[in-house]
Amino acid sequence: MIEVNDLSKDFKVYHHRKGFFGSFVNLFSRKHRIVQAVDKVSFTVARGEIVGYLGPNGAGKSTTIKMLTGILVPSSGSVTVNGYIPHRQRKENAKHIGVVFGQRSHLWFDLPVQESFELLQRIYRIPEAEYRQNVEVFEELLNLGDFFRTPVRQLSLGQRMRADIAAALLHNPDVLFLDEPTIGLDVVAKARIRQFIQRINTERQVTVVLTTHDLDDVEKLCKRVILIDNARLRFDGELTALRRLLSTERLLSVDYAEAYPDVSIPNADIVYQEGARVQYRFSPEEISAADLIGTILKKFRIVDVSIQEPDIEDLIKTVYEDNLTLERKLAEPLSPDI
Amino acid sequence: MKSLYLTFHVYLAFARKSFQKQMQYRVANLAGLTTNFFFLLVQVFVYIAFYKASTEPQPLSIDDIITYFVLCQASLMLMPLWGGREIADTIKNGSVALQLTKPVDFQTYWFVDECGRAYYYLFMRGLPTFLISNLFFTVTIPQQPSVLLAFAVSMVLAIFMSAAITITIFSTAFWTLDTTGISGIAASVITFFSGMLVPIALWPEWLAHIAGWLPFGGLIDIPFSIYLGKLAGIEIWIAIGKQTAWCLFFMGFGRVLLSRGFSRLVIQGG
Repeated sequence: MIEVNDLSKDFKVYHHRKGFFGSFVNLFSRKHRIVQAVDKVSFTVARGEIVGYLGPNGAGKSTTIKMLTGILVPSSGSVTVNGYIPHRQRKENAKHIGVVFGQRSHLWFDLPVQESFELLQRIYRIPEAEYRQNVEVFEELLNLGDFFRTPVRQLSLGQRMRADIAAALLHNPDVLFLDEPTIGLDVVAKARIRQFIQRINTERQVTVVLTTHDLDDVEKLCKRVILIDNARLRFDGELTALRRLLSTERLLSVDYAEAYPDVSIPNADIVYQEGARVQYRFSPEEISAADLIGTILKKFRIVDVSIQEPDIEDLIKTVYEDNLTLERKLAEPLSPDI
Repeated sequence: MKSLYLTFHVYLAFARKSFQKQMQYRVANLAGLTTNFFFLLVQVFVYIAFYKASTEPQPLSIDDIITYFVLCQASLMLMPLWGGREIADTIKNGSVALQLTKPVDFQTYWFVDECGRAYYYLFMRGLPTFLISNLFFTVTIPQQPSVLLAFAVSMVLAIFMSAAITITIFSTAFWTLDTTGISGIAASVITFFSGMLVPIALWPEWLAHIAGWLPFGGLIDIPFSIYLGKLAGIEIWIAIGKQTAWCLFFMGFGRVLLSRGFSRLVIQGG
């Protein structure tokens, strides 16, 4: 569905001189340097996949999305979406993709949502029956009914976002690009949008490429993630694999039958202790969870026990802050799961 | 052929929506109507005063002058640069890039958007201004159907030309980001050389000659001269031909400018 090969994009960034004299000089000579926004990124996305495209601010996420949607021309490398080259066949490509940018609206600011939809129907030449059916389904799933006749400028952020996502799907695109679709939304609105994306993906086999800073979005929606940092691809694979790769430490919470005075266990550090409840930190490389629980059971009587995986937020932070760790780990074979 | 019809249909819908969009600002329009009428009074009384002070024969009668300025005020909102802010804004804030994800042609889209706006103001501002003025002044109305027809054609061309000029000027936002300067200069040149301030018929010959070589008379001078019956027969055809030529020129020029702007955008990222 999407094929990206050695995709790169450089920008010229002009150097602005400071001060009054400087801005005068700027008029005549401008120095620039080349900044690589995306550097030899390659990946493929199959039909029906939901891929999380993640990275810190300025990593090159939006630039990649813009090249996939035909807004930017790549400096080198190749892109095809649906068999079309987006920047060469802009209008053709546009007919088969849906795009939502969380920060900006596609809808006509002064028109009611319904009118915007009708215009889109004309633009994409959506047959009447298909249009009616889509509007009906989206109206129900996204609760558009309450504000369907309200001008877009009067909508709340959550309402606008829902309208924007529905608008991007009216013409039954094969691929949906979502650039931070949940930015600034409350928990309920986020949940509703995630559910909707999930449903559209399963029912219509729409391929979804999602960029987000909200890791809940990733956990709920994406099986596969692509990590990009400093313009380069850092990781491409299953979310669980990423987690396994990076999870050096786990937490074990134990509720003891009584408050024992000394609950120390070899190879595990006590994070906190409060009455009969104790939390340990351990590294699966040193001791497996099974061995750890075994040791505890030999010494004490317990009521309850639970293991917490680190959440991906922490994982990704590790990646961003310490790229070397990941590169080193990627070089090693995956250790078997415990 | 069918695809051409469908395309036409899409852009017709855009024009209609643009008309509807303006409907949202009804109070603003009412306020504008009052302002129009106020300016009309000032202009007309100044000219009445001039005419009373002068004993020389004038190329336009006082009734012609009054009718001319009624028409000017009625079509004020159809002139270039009243609309089109949106174009400059979308370019400036970058959302124009977003529009590239839609399968439409931009110049055509903006053009019909401008036309839709113009037709709104033709009916909601122009017509009321014209009718109200009739209550206070003697406004002449051409009796020959052929003159009315020629005027209608010329007026449509004036609107097209206005839209094309607006798009051309605001698409400079790709390079300048702030179009206040260029649109300010353009506005004064257009206001003067279209004959909106002083009818070109009253200008000294050498200046009128210069105006004849410029496109802007096509916005005001040509359609209203036709209306007042100052042009006849072949002159009408020549005038309309001139309007058409300038119209095509601005559309072509605007298209070149836009496509260069867009290619700059897709390569440099705006």
